[in-house]
Amino acid sequence: MDTRDNKGEAVSTTDRNDQAQGANDPAENSLSRRAVLKSFGLGAAALGVAGVSNKGLGTLSNRRLTPLERGQAAGGSTLKIGYVSPETGALADFSQSDKYVLSKVRAAAAYAKGLKVGAHKYKVEITVADSQSDPNRAAQVAQQLVLQQKVDMIVTSSAPETTNPVAAACEQLRTPCLATVVPWESWYVGLGGDPLKPTKTFAYNAVFFFGMKEFAGTFLPMWNRIQKETKAAKVFAGMFPNDSDGNAFRAGFPPFAAKEGYKLVDGGAYSDGTTNYSSMIEKFKAAGCEFFVNAPLPPDFNTFWKQAIQENFRPKLATVAKVLLFPSDVIALGSLVNNIATDAWWTPWAPYKSSLTGESARDFAIGYQKQEGKEWVQSMGSAYSLFEVAVEAFMHSGDPHNKAAVAKALHNVSYSGLCGPIHFNKGPAPGVGIIYPVGIQWRPGKASADFGMKNPFQPFVVDNSLNKHVPINGELLPTNK
Amino acid sequence: MAWVNALLQGILIGGFYALFACGLSLLFGVMGIINLAHGDLAVIAAFIALTIAPATGLPIVWSFVLVVPIFAIGGYLLQRTLLQASLDRSPFTTLLVTFGLSVVIENVVLEVFTSNGQSLNIGSLIANSFNPSTAISISYFSLVVLAIAVVVLACLQLFLSKTMTGRLIRAVADDREAAQLSGANYRHLFAIAAAIAFATVALAGMAYGMYTEFSFSSGSANLLFAFEAVVIGGIGSLWGTLVGGVVLGIAQQVGAQINPAYQILAGHLVFLAVLAIRPRGLFGVRAAT
Repeated sequence: MDTRDNKGEAVSTTDRNDQAQGANDPAENSLSRRAVLKSFGLGAAALGVAGVSNKGLGTLSNRRLTPLERGQAAGGSTLKIGYVSPETGALADFSQSDKYVLSKVRAAAAYAKGLKVGAHKYKVEITVADSQSDPNRAAQVAQQLVLQQKVDMIVTSSAPETTNPVAAACEQLRTPCLATVVPWESWYVGLGGDPLKPTKTFAYNAVFFFGMKEFAGTFLPMWNRIQKETKAAKVFAGMFPNDSDGNAFRAGFPPFAAKEGYKLVDGGAYSDGTTNYSSMIEKFKAAGCEFFVNAPLPPDFNTFWKQAIQENFRPKLATVAKVLLFPSDVIALGSLVNNIATDAWWTPWAPYKSSLTGESARDFAIGYQKQEGKEWVQSMGSAYSLFEVAVEAFMHSGDPHNKAAVAKALHNVSYSGLCGPIHFNKGPAPGVGIIYPVGIQWRPGKASADFGMKNPFQPFVVDNSLNKHVPINGELLPTNK
Repeated sequence: MAWVNALLQGILIGGFYALFACGLSLLFGVMGIINLAHGDLAVIAAFIALTIAPATGLPIVWSFVLVVPIFAIGGYLLQRTLLQASLDRSPFTTLLVTFGLSVVIENVVLEVFTSNGQSLNIGSLIANSFNPSTAISISYFSLVVLAIAVVVLACLQLFLSKTMTGRLIRAVADDREAAQLSGANYRHLFAIAAAIAFATVALAGMAYGMYTEFSFSSGSANLLFAFEAVVIGGIGSLWGTLVGGVVLGIAQQVGAQINPAYQILAGHLVFLAVLAIRPRGLFGVRAAT
């Protein structure tokens, strides 16, 4: 522990030198360095990754900054953004649209022609780093981006395994970091906060996404509509694995459902990778569950759903989280997927426009389908907005090389872009901007409804209780009659 | 009744584990190769089936007529080249080579087939089941997989005990030098055993692909269950592998019946108990088969 802290000290000192001109360092005011280090350790523990901090600091200790290097880090006419996402590995599905998104971002004027902040014009460079879906690797690449590439900001996307270690590393290295596609509670816990008492500020970190309240706010109105229609019993099955997302759902979802009068039948904290769910399914059947909610790994849901049909468990409405987000999952389940509902945080039907170019969500999706020849995915909108928000933060920072000022500006961004309006200063916790999902159901695709591309399956917006901006283009149907 | 169902489901999933473990058991029993790439090979089989079916117009269920021979030939060639070369050096080299193979396969599959989850869709065939009583439902698909496992293992057993080639394979496995002195070409025989093992991997991989969703990285999880089935049943015994698979399946279902959190754990505990009490496994014999 001693050596760790010493190494941390050495780095922090150089870091402080870098920022000598920073007027007021928010981290100095609200958090001690030790507390930050501690929260980093906690974040790693929460992810079940022993040794993240050790490895990361090992990389740090090898570094020696020359005075010249320090000078370059603090100035220059180039702004550098590091983008960390799972380009490979188990979560690579989330990043399938990255190539297209980055080509769009790089073509936008702010990135192609330079960004004017005050009297200065800055060139903006984006460096992409692959987390390989691995928390250890994510922490490492974040460290490298900050210490070797000298990035001014890191943006990161797609599941806690990537975003949380990156956020923790950035908090420690005092580099502004913006995350998305991670439930904000999970992100907050990863940094060492408590979502039930969300008062603690993590000065260098911000996130835009949604949380348990919005999951419930998307799913429960759909349940209520089907319940009214079918007069089904208000009993729901919960399939929550024993992992961070599963446990978050087990703790967070049932209270919202209870308020609407739904009773939980918990299938039990099974392990990821379980191959047979018959005892769980029998339990759901015996209890007469008419609604179904879950947060599993995609292959596990595939196994579960096939067995549920074999064993004749037919809930009136299944609303799933974390799975069926992307067309590939849906195609893997084939026709069995009909009328399962899930959430979508971005759709091309939303009336939103890029804050960088003014391009509409619709054209953005059409461009992807033309360029890649594949069906649009909802992660493309959120990935794009990372770079919109980065520009907002740089513009309002006064000095985009001053990390403290950029971080402060990041916490105050209030703008409207491809994901709609986002207000980082009005979220449930400091630095959290909420985007509002809609309820979708997957059905066989129609070329007329999917911009001329006939896809085997496509999502239809069936419920917009949380976000009235997005028009409904399909009827909510029961999963099983 | 719930317990009866748990037991039946355990036997059914056990059949799948046994089918998966069959190739692993054979390679280990005959050549002493612990094939760490076993799970990844199964995933390749599923991907090949996925590619072949639309290309040839075969229904996906029938694509095994092509996938199995492809794998048998691949197994023969791989044994004659890479595996035999490493086997000639030392058992440790084999372990490292198959481990390396596993890593390479995962990354090549990622490059070729992307990271997207896939499944071999056989439509309503997967969803059909029959109910002997209200609390029990038996899936036809699982039953077919169990039957295939039994048939494959029975055929292998017959092949090894009744045919000339089979006996030669056993002879080479028991005492290579002596068999060589009697004129047996052990390289060819090993390669035949590998071809058979790979053919069963192809079947297992396709069953797996129909059963659930697979992607480039899903091989390793299955390797663990297959390995446990082999060890529980006893290394070198083919019938033992079947029993091992079923014991593992039942242990998991009984664990799940108590609490779903114990499902995987119960399987691992039985595996550990067998290792501790009877390291040879339930039907273990020292010599192969």
